[in-house]
Amino acid sequence: MSNHNIVGVGGLAVSKNPAESIKTFALGSCVAVIMLHPPTRSVGMVHVALPDSAVARGSANDRPGYFADTGIPVLLKEMAKIGANSPGNKGMVVKLAGGAKVLDPNNIFNVGKRNILAIKKILWSLGMGAVAEDLGANFSRTVSVEVKTGRITISSPGKKDWQI
Amino acid sequence: MTTQITHDEILAAIKKVPLIPTSGTQLLQLANQKDHNLTDIINIIKCDAALTGYILKTVNSAAMSRGKEITSLDRAVSLVGEDMILSIVFSEAAAQLFHADLDGYAANQGDLWRHNLRSAIAAKKIAPYAKLEVNPDTAFTCGLMHDLGKAIISHYLEGTTEEMVAAVDHGDFKDYSVAEHEKIGFNHSEIGFELAKHWGLPEPLPSVIRYHHHPQEGNIELQPLLFVVHLADIVSMMTGSGTGADSMRHSIDPAYSDYIDLSRDDIARIIFEVEIEFNTIMSSLSGEGEPK
Repeated sequence: MSNHNIVGVGGLAVSKNPAESIKTFALGSCVAVIMLHPPTRSVGMVHVALPDSAVARGSANDRPGYFADTGIPVLLKEMAKIGANSPGNKGMVVKLAGGAKVLDPNNIFNVGKRNILAIKKILWSLGMGAVAEDLGANFSRTVSVEVKTGRITISSPGKKDWQI
Repeated sequence: MTTQITHDEILAAIKKVPLIPTSGTQLLQLANQKDHNLTDIINIIKCDAALTGYILKTVNSAAMSRGKEITSLDRAVSLVGEDMILSIVFSEAAAQLFHADLDGYAANQGDLWRHNLRSAIAAKKIAPYAKLEVNPDTAFTCGLMHDLGKAIISHYLEGTTEEMVAAVDHGDFKDYSVAEHEKIGFNHSEIGFELAKHWGLPEPLPSVIRYHHHPQEGNIELQPLLFVVHLADIVSMMTGSGTGADSMRHSIDPAYSDYIDLSRDDIARIIFEVEIEFNTIMSSLSGEGEPK
């Protein structure tokens, strides 16, 4: 059995301990951004809940992982602290899961969609792009990553587990 | 496979649930009154020795008392405020239901409590955006109680999760709550309504419990409050506090915009503020952290 690092809403974790895994529960419109760094066999995850930290009016520093614009840079920083960095972020493998849909014709509650767009834009500005994703749809996802293999397992009540 | 259950079976199941103490019902009534204050709350709790003891014990937990022992109820209530007191009271007074495992939804331990609490906080934060006045404290208590029917229906839904999920995702039913009604004859809102009546909960609680997924079916004068709780429930599911299989499988009624005036920035701000308050209350109530 591996040790789970549990990532809460707006939290993040990094690890290169092959006995560990990183797990986050019940992503609704939130998105798990997962980074894998093959050269150092390191893994990181941030649980993003909102696209833009401007709404936090200065208190985003307490919880940078909560927002796409602050969460992704801080995950990169934490990855670098365990040695997982390369010039221009080349060699960083990014995968995304979550961002479930709320069908709102008023375009207010479709936070999942706005999270996904914000994350992709920020990744792109940092020279990265997601190579795999499991996004949208109408169910919640629990996501775990095994540090040893980088294997990502997604589970959702009433469905068989799957991998990306 | 699922079997239909009868109204009598539901009533029999509800009768087995312990009643909530009189002080609990009185607090719910009080929260409904616009001009209540902390003294009114203290006066109700004072008459219930068990509740007073429990509140002092919780408030004296390390996180809240900061090392100084609090021995008076007045001090405890004014220190932590109304939302925290109501959370402590109902977490204890209806523990069997609030902390029930929802196996019928394949949920994680503690999901129902986290969902109800996050919905309560979200309802209170959304209430000021209603176009007609909605009492934020009423919204809080309605959010806290809205899904209690799940604690009872869960037993009847055990073993149905895969089938239900597949049927909803295939489009056989409009949402999970319609699926519940079609498959077993009742949904969690209808059962919650019966429970609320049995407990003698004051209106608008029974109505809000009954119509939180389909607010337009409720009375006209309750529309603003119904939509507030309807949206709070969706926010709670969106932000990581669902109850398993039905999470994100309930649709939003877009008519909310007739009653509630929200922008994208408003909802983002609400989500963040709810997160902060939710974590404050959760960390103060012992043993209720993240699922493991």
